[in-house]
Amino acid sequence: MSLEKPTPDTATEVGVTEDGLDYDALADLLGGHVLDREEHVNAEGFVIRPDEVQEVLSTLKNEAGFDHCACVTAQEYDDRYESIYHLRKFDDPTQELSVVVPTTKDDPHSESAARVYDTADWHEREAYDLVGIDYDDHPDLRRILLPETWQGHPLSQDYNQDQPQIVTLRENANPLEEDHRSEDDPDTMFVNIGPHHPATHGVLHVKTVLDGEQIADIEPDIGYLHRCEEQMCQQGTYRHQIMPYPDRWDYVSAGILNEWAYARAAEDLADIEVPEYAQVIRTMSAELCRIAAHMLALGTFALDVFGDFTAIFQYAFRDREVVQNILEDLTGQRLMFNYLRLGGVAWDLPEPREEFFEKTRDFLDDLPHKLEEYHDLITGNEIFQMRCVDTGVLSEEMVKQYGATGPVARGSGVDYDLRRDDPYGYYDELDWNVVTEEGGDNFSRVLVRMREVEESARIIEQCVDLLEQWPEDEREIQANVPRTLRPDPDEEIYRAVEGAKGELGIYIRSDGTDKPARFKIRSPCFSNLQTLPEMSQGEYVPDMVASLGSLDIVLGEVDR
Amino acid sequence: MQSAPLPETLANLVGLDPNSTPVMIVMSLVGAALIGTLMMTNTALAGPWAKRKITAAFTDRIAVDRIGPYGLFIIVADAVRLLSKELIVPDGVDRPAWDLAPLVIASSALLGFAVIPMGSGIHLADPEVGLAYVFATASIASVGLVMAGYASNNKYSFLGGLRAVAQNVAYEIPLILTGASVVIFAGSLQMSEIVAAQQQALIGPIPSWYAFVNPFAFVLFMIANLAEVGRNPFDIPEAPTEIVAGYQTEYSSVYFVLIYLGEFIHIFLGGAIIATIFLGGPAGPGPASLGIVWFLVKIWGVFLFTQWARSAVPRVRIDQLIEIGWKGMLVLSLANLLLTAVIVGVIA
Repeated sequence: MSLEKPTPDTATEVGVTEDGLDYDALADLLGGHVLDREEHVNAEGFVIRPDEVQEVLSTLKNEAGFDHCACVTAQEYDDRYESIYHLRKFDDPTQELSVVVPTTKDDPHSESAARVYDTADWHEREAYDLVGIDYDDHPDLRRILLPETWQGHPLSQDYNQDQPQIVTLRENANPLEEDHRSEDDPDTMFVNIGPHHPATHGVLHVKTVLDGEQIADIEPDIGYLHRCEEQMCQQGTYRHQIMPYPDRWDYVSAGILNEWAYARAAEDLADIEVPEYAQVIRTMSAELCRIAAHMLALGTFALDVFGDFTAIFQYAFRDREVVQNILEDLTGQRLMFNYLRLGGVAWDLPEPREEFFEKTRDFLDDLPHKLEEYHDLITGNEIFQMRCVDTGVLSEEMVKQYGATGPVARGSGVDYDLRRDDPYGYYDELDWNVVTEEGGDNFSRVLVRMREVEESARIIEQCVDLLEQWPEDEREIQANVPRTLRPDPDEEIYRAVEGAKGELGIYIRSDGTDKPARFKIRSPCFSNLQTLPEMSQGEYVPDMVASLGSLDIVLGEVDR
Repeated sequence: MQSAPLPETLANLVGLDPNSTPVMIVMSLVGAALIGTLMMTNTALAGPWAKRKITAAFTDRIAVDRIGPYGLFIIVADAVRLLSKELIVPDGVDRPAWDLAPLVIASSALLGFAVIPMGSGIHLADPEVGLAYVFATASIASVGLVMAGYASNNKYSFLGGLRAVAQNVAYEIPLILTGASVVIFAGSLQMSEIVAAQQQALIGPIPSWYAFVNPFAFVLFMIANLAEVGRNPFDIPEAPTEIVAGYQTEYSSVYFVLIYLGEFIHIFLGGAIIATIFLGGPAGPGPASLGIVWFLVKIWGVFLFTQWARSAVPRVRIDQLIEIGWKGMLVLSLANLLLTAVIVGVIA
């Protein structure tokens, strides 16, 4: 079957057995470093000392093959702080391990993992910002989402959530103030690109040092769209109140993909079985969302390269509109779908079903022709190739270091797609391919997205066939789920789905109530954006803008 | 075909002596006002309305259609809107350079029309160095762009101004060299002579317009002209997604209108030059009095071409632009000039 992944050579990796991970072997590898072993729903957690983080993680990375630090979750308990490093493998993301690092309450110091995994840099800054753990040996431990002058750490226990804080522009790091040249190089010029700039796809602030028109130094500054999503989810009940939020992370069109991330994590946490029929509907609607999201990515990327609202942008939006209409028929909404439920979906396909199937099929039939038109307009255009081939190059090594996922990783030849590698929904029953390109440049990332649209169309086509033939009396859209969900106390889970931008993961810790004690979102855009300096150092401003466009970030998901 | 320049015609029309200097000064001013009004009317039509409609047609949209027939009254609405906006003068701008720049940009392009024969007797002046004069006035706009970029006290404006200079220097040389190859054909810099030289038939019904005589030069000139007027793929000095709006970032209200006016007039001036030296000026079927119609059709054709490029072609990068200019266009235009000189020398 096409879904087979080329088997990697894992013989040298410690702990790999025929049927998954042998945690005892991994514990032996780490020896005395492992103080305790915890049982999380997705993997085992090894508890280690806060001053041995780098040693343990490099051992796991180099000898056990954990090359993907998916996420860093920080949280505060009554008696301690805790950082959890969710490790996985790019070759097989079902091989997971959580490294749990507790620190004392009065002096929360923990060694930074940023020297081992580059991606930990931003993740630990976020943990410091929101929870308040100090990471020693961190290259640049500053707040990342909140302003520099913010008082307290919002997700810590003694934080007064009722006390409003207003940070004026003057108090905040004033972007206008740094109107100076870099001191060590008098020939450079400092430019603020954003937060209000035509090319930043939202409120992203890129601090740029220019040498002529070339980029000498660049630092993305995020947090302008931080809306306390994690904290809001912690205040909602599992059953109904959390589901509307995911739509608002990647708000451009990937709603159902985001909802699925929460649905998957919560269903696995509470042990809910989703009926097959509902899984097919989920798969179909998620892929529709992916097409809409990729069309938008394509259109806005063209906007960045063409420099205006040109033909290709409008064509992409025209065709995305058709998808939006289908999704509106299905869910009743155009962007904030709120369609998935724990254990199923909100409602069945719209009646008359034939009309819906016909509409979807019409769209799928038109798609190849439209994609051809796109190829004529952009990928076949020589100026476009001149601009995109070999610009914004991201090596496979860097992708893994920064935990980049989704089309960004696949554009650099990293064959990583959770739909196939960590199957959920109905994906493993269907016939489709994971698209990869080897170039690692802006052009490859565009090509990956365009080809993924074709693959999504294949998936939808098969789903439509399945749904059409589904016997009428077996159309079960919702499993039996208790009105109030109270997962067992102290269950922990990290689960991810393949969102439009990459690995969208959710970490939930339950405390026996009907609300999560900790809700952590692993945003693919957040990790992907971290690669921007790597891609654009030494390139021209237009290439940086193109690279930013090809990363396809949505600030709602970066800042959460 | 060749009627007397406009001031003389006007003087004869009102019955004054065309040989007296004061009369000619007054009549020249009246003529200039007429031509200026004509071109401004074109721009008013192009800016708020035609540009929107054309781009919309290219990009599968409808564009303005609410006010008046085909949305035409949007021109009035836009004029009111733009003129009633607040003129924001940012801190630290370098006045009066900042105030003068929009004027320089808008007026320099208008100057060029003085020597363009538009047919139907609309031709303000016909100096012997007409073509050189047009190129010279068109280049003044670069000064305006640098003034705007430098005086705005904004880094994006500054980058835009620098880009504008780099681009204009790189593309004006091929532009003028290609124009010079036409001069070799026509044997004169005088606009009326250049137009007159294109009136015979080349083969059958095809006139000997220089676009048909030397298509290679025509293509070169069209490309260089795109760069000269700063339209895709060469809209580097404004490059919205890179440097916000380039040299015009800090301009609002009337100054903004002036800059845009300048840009559109510049596009039309480019079209007028192309029409005159490559497309036979006001020549076309029908009586000679229809000349102005054909002339306008031609310059609108060029305008349409720039809008097409804008809708469908990506923008090149600044270093690629300079490379294309110096390594490609310059070499090709020199080759074209040499070849033309040799061919004309052999034939003549």
